[in-house]
Amino acid sequence: MKLPEGKKGGGNIIIVGCGRLGANLANTLSDDEKSVVIIDQNKDSFRKLSSSFGGKTLVGDATEISVLTDAEIEKASTVISVTDRDNTNILIAQLAKELFNIEEVVARLYDPECGCVYDEFGIDTICPAVLSRKEIDKLLGLPSGDE
Amino acid sequence: MKKRVFLIGGYKKTKSLAVSLLKKGYEVTAINGDMEKCVVLSEIDDLAVIHGDGSKPYVLEEANAYNADIAIALTESDADNLVICELCKKKFRVKKTVALITDSKKSEFFYRMGIDSVVCAITAIANIIEQQAFLDEIATLVPLGEGRVRIAQVPIPQSSPAVDKMLWEIKLPREVLVGCILRGEKSLVPRGETRVLAGDVLVLISSDEHEKAAVRELTGA
Repeated sequence: MKLPEGKKGGGNIIIVGCGRLGANLANTLSDDEKSVVIIDQNKDSFRKLSSSFGGKTLVGDATEISVLTDAEIEKASTVISVTDRDNTNILIAQLAKELFNIEEVVARLYDPECGCVYDEFGIDTICPAVLSRKEIDKLLGLPSGDE
Repeated sequence: MKKRVFLIGGYKKTKSLAVSLLKKGYEVTAINGDMEKCVVLSEIDDLAVIHGDGSKPYVLEEANAYNADIAIALTESDADNLVICELCKKKFRVKKTVALITDSKKSEFFYRMGIDSVVCAITAIANIIEQQAFLDEIATLVPLGEGRVRIAQVPIPQSSPAVDKMLWEIKLPREVLVGCILRGEKSLVPRGETRVLAGDVLVLISSDEHEKAAVRELTGA
């Protein structure tokens, strides 16, 4: 199932937080033959995963370095942090980037204001409010007031 | 001009820190997300209190954190404390940031992210308890550099095997240095030939907790 190492996106993908977005991402990436590890503090969250999900699940607090090591973060090429807390996502993203030199790191931030601080760390942030606004602008045919 | 200090999150620690810093003449502002706690904090004279989540830029802005001297993040969440300190440092140009953490394994990482001082309360308390419980002989022990180096003050009792010996005759670990001997009113910088007398107080500088072996050697405990 594993794609050859070294190629971009070839390593494992670690997803932190098995909420609606995390589970959805995990299902899609797993269907796409990617090797996925998903971490959540609550075992019940994994019920959101589809029956065809072929990746690994790990119960634990991903802000702990030992949990990230258990998820074999050193083999990962991508870390996506989508827990429901902004600050947790920031901490995990920075751990991944700074301690484990992960190439691609994505964090979801509900609060668009914090984003600017993290641009310089090489962490990609996505903000649902900003994405929704752009989409609504598009629907209404408004010129997208991009930053 | 008074130095401006921000205490973000926390409750009991914030209360006692605020009182002590105000007494020392700092201008202190506490930020807390819990309204009830804010009300209690506001009973402290001269303490400015702001209700809100200190990891949000607009709250720090409302508290006027720009160019403050010190920001201390005392919430229960390591993640919140990291973000608070990073915001204070990068966006608000606070001169010194201090973060409290629960997971001591992350302390090095916090330093790497540019936080000036990282305090792990659990490790600090465990160390103090250990000292109190096992090393009654040590009057005071000051940890430096996260406890890697410590300065200990050791009184020499009459029963000590070190009494009347010259310093070089006492088998101290290599990692321990006798920096100073306090004898009555005087303090002397010792040499190898200096004799240790009963009633002396030795000031030890040691790395990696080697002072325990040194204390045993010096006090006969």
